[in-house]
Amino acid sequence: MRILVVDDDTLNRFLLVHMLEQQGYLDTFEAEDGGVAIELAKRINPDLVLLDVVMPELDGFEVATQLKKMAGDIYLPIIFITALDDEKTLARCLEVGGDDFVAKPFDKVVLAAKIRAHARTRLLSKKAFEQNKQLTFYRNAIEREHKIVEHIFANALSVNKSFTRYLDYCLNPASDFNGDLFIASASPTGGMYFLIGDFTGHGLASAIGALPVSQAFQTMSRKGLSLMEMAETINQTLLMLLPDDMFFAAAIVEINNTGKQLDIWNGGMPSLLLQDPSGKIVKRFDSRHMALGILENHEFEADVERYEMQFGDRLVAFSDGIVELENEQYEMLGSEGLESWLKAQPDINVEGIISNAKEYLGAMQRKDDVTLIIFTSQPLEQVKNKGVASKVPLKIVIELDAKHIKSTDPVVDLVSVVTNQLSLFGIHSELFTVLSELYNNALEHGVLELDSELKQSDSGFFAYFKLREEKLSNLEVASIVISAEYLPDENALAIQIKDSGKGFKQQPMSKLENLEKSYGRGISLVKELCESVEYTNKGNTVDVVFKI
Amino acid sequence: MSLDREFSEDGTELTIFLEEKFDFGKVKDFRMAYSEHTEDVTSIVINLQKTEYMDSSALGMLLNMQKSLSDSVKSFKITHCRPQVLKILQIARFDKKFLIV
Repeated sequence: MRILVVDDDTLNRFLLVHMLEQQGYLDTFEAEDGGVAIELAKRINPDLVLLDVVMPELDGFEVATQLKKMAGDIYLPIIFITALDDEKTLARCLEVGGDDFVAKPFDKVVLAAKIRAHARTRLLSKKAFEQNKQLTFYRNAIEREHKIVEHIFANALSVNKSFTRYLDYCLNPASDFNGDLFIASASPTGGMYFLIGDFTGHGLASAIGALPVSQAFQTMSRKGLSLMEMAETINQTLLMLLPDDMFFAAAIVEINNTGKQLDIWNGGMPSLLLQDPSGKIVKRFDSRHMALGILENHEFEADVERYEMQFGDRLVAFSDGIVELENEQYEMLGSEGLESWLKAQPDINVEGIISNAKEYLGAMQRKDDVTLIIFTSQPLEQVKNKGVASKVPLKIVIELDAKHIKSTDPVVDLVSVVTNQLSLFGIHSELFTVLSELYNNALEHGVLELDSELKQSDSGFFAYFKLREEKLSNLEVASIVISAEYLPDENALAIQIKDSGKGFKQQPMSKLENLEKSYGRGISLVKELCESVEYTNKGNTVDVVFKI
Repeated sequence: MSLDREFSEDGTELTIFLEEKFDFGKVKDFRMAYSEHTEDVTSIVINLQKTEYMDSSALGMLLNMQKSLSDSVKSFKITHCRPQVLKILQIARFDKKFLIV
């Protein structure tokens, strides 16, 4: 406790310092006039000042004003010691910033008690000041961190501009971070996917799950996977990452290349609405599943709803933030409210709905994130997520002997090697069909010498299957060589399959239009999917060119 | 592994869920799925939402199913096709024999 005594009278200073010593205050400083007091205070930073009012040059009032200014936010008690006892002077003492006064000659007991009281307040003030400083420090640190994370999020979760012409949307977080998530991505087959979701809560904690979801979503979109697989994978990821009390309500939508066909998986989101051009709500895609990140894999159901839109129909998806808006009468908007806006103005866009929402809120504060998306059914021309194939000619050769032929089915593996290597995920199904037909022909008719005509009937089909198994298990010497060569200039795959069989006479091909026969359409199918198909070497070798 | 299937409440509609690969390897399972305890079934739904890979033997199996059930089952539907699988069904003109939705 450091005390500064300011008085132009030496005796007075002596008495005060002496009294302070008696009370145990040994850290005292003296100043004989106002100027010295101010200079000294700057250096020693006193905890309390005993100040005479009447001094030559700077008087006590002036000194008090300056000392208070210097003390800033921390409370510096100033006690005036004055011989003047008129009311005006005493009032002035307090007006200029003094905190108390004691009359001269001073009463030791009273003065000591006052010093102790003000010292306590000084201590409190110092503590509060320190705490404030710490709080400010933490707040700045957090703000900085938020800025960084916000930056990362903005980049990771931005919606690609090529979708904005098809998707009208807005994301309005209630705080800096969004518990809501909206991401869109093109599929490799010319359609697109989007996901609208809502993590429990909002703010940073709930936004943190957005990154893994978005990453998984983008990767799966690029591969053109089904909504089922997407929902399952995201569920698994979140189940692993999120604490038990946190989960992610989400609706995933796939629009195919026609711009009309919808697949929807809805787990815990408000119903997605489909309105026709007259504004009528013709279909609601209700939540049929639990939110993501709750159920274990074996409990998880992922079946999707499919719907065929007409051009001009609109799909409206939103998070519960908008339907839970409360107006000044504490009434929730509800989905009826939102639907009434859609009906009243069938071509209302997202901006229009948001402005309606503002009007509805009036002076009320929004509590939750608001996300709203409208997709209008139309031809999707700009949307492409065709991988960029390498310019390097590439050849993959697989040589299978009898042992391999018996134990593996190489087709899916080969398809995944080729599509991954060339980043061409959109062709995986077609490529499978082509390779599967060619490989099975080589195996069944070339190597195993089976006759397709067995497959005439349902039971024949089964007999064929049994015979195939039997012959396969007895197979001792055989080879099938598959090669797939990527031709960058033609943007095509040249596929060749050679087998070690005796060769087979090609059956007259069934026309695809003939749906009576249940076999023999394999090669016709390959012809439709490939540029050219050529059997040589008595049927032991087949060459096809598959355009990418 | 046998295929997942689901009966409607009144037992007249059977939905069969195919897996990622629908090819010759499924002959037995598929046949079982449409022939066991299906006396009351009048409508069959083939759900292809998981199916990414399909070849002509799957097409043959579908036609065989239709043939062998044609006396009792009046409606055959194929649903939830992936775009690529749909293309193969269309090339094979399957829309003439099945309701593809």
